[in-house]
Amino acid sequence: MNILYFRSFIVFLFFSLQGCSVAPWERGNLAKKNMAITVNSGLSALRDHAFTSKEASQGGYGGAGGGCGCN
Amino acid sequence: MKKLLLIILLFLTNFLVKADLIDQAVPFCPAKMNGTTQNIDFNSYKGKVVLIDFWATWCPPCKQSMPFLNALRNELLTQGFEIIAINVDEDKQQALRFLQSYPVDYQVVYDETGECPQRFEVEAMPSSYFVDRKGQIRSIHLGYRSSDQQYIREKITKLLSEK
Repeated sequence: MNILYFRSFIVFLFFSLQGCSVAPWERGNLAKKNMAITVNSGLSALRDHAFTSKEASQGGYGGAGGGCGCN
Repeated sequence: MKKLLLIILLFLTNFLVKADLIDQAVPFCPAKMNGTTQNIDFNSYKGKVVLIDFWATWCPPCKQSMPFLNALRNELLTQGFEIIAINVDEDKQQALRFLQSYPVDYQVVYDETGECPQRFEVEAMPSSYFVDRKGQIRSIHLGYRSSDQQYIREKITKLLSEK
């Protein structure tokens, strides 16, 4: 019985985490340019190109964008 | 069996807490006009078709939509169409600076607290709420692309044709 309660509690915790997201109207700071994964998208593209040519594999760089979640 | 029921209940609560705003009256919202402490009164717009637009300066599609919305508002103003733009920037001054460079003719109100988008259950930026002449929210449009212009125009025209 205790195991059942424990598992239910873990499941409850997991679903509670859904509240840990940034609301769409609170993404002003996330939308700033310096919050981007790649601040300079041009430079990242160049590095990605060089990496791809040398290693014959695709680099794992992020794309451009501030992450504001705008459509 | 109990475990399964608990999991189903947890899933359901995610949907149940979200009230549907469609066909409901516009919720009260403490957005203020610039330079005043007066809240926007949506009731005073009854009899008009209103588009309530949530926007912020950090949201590129919001800014992109504004020239189109302004032109549409000015075109359909005589037929009883109005736009209320609710700015949700944490710093109102940013919005005021932006509007100095790119002014609009419609009413812009400010909510730095984030209470308005919470009450309107805003899911994306920008969000547009189409309100009919009776003051009821008829549909919600999320985001903005230039290809949405036709859709927005048709929605407004349809609401304007209703008496």
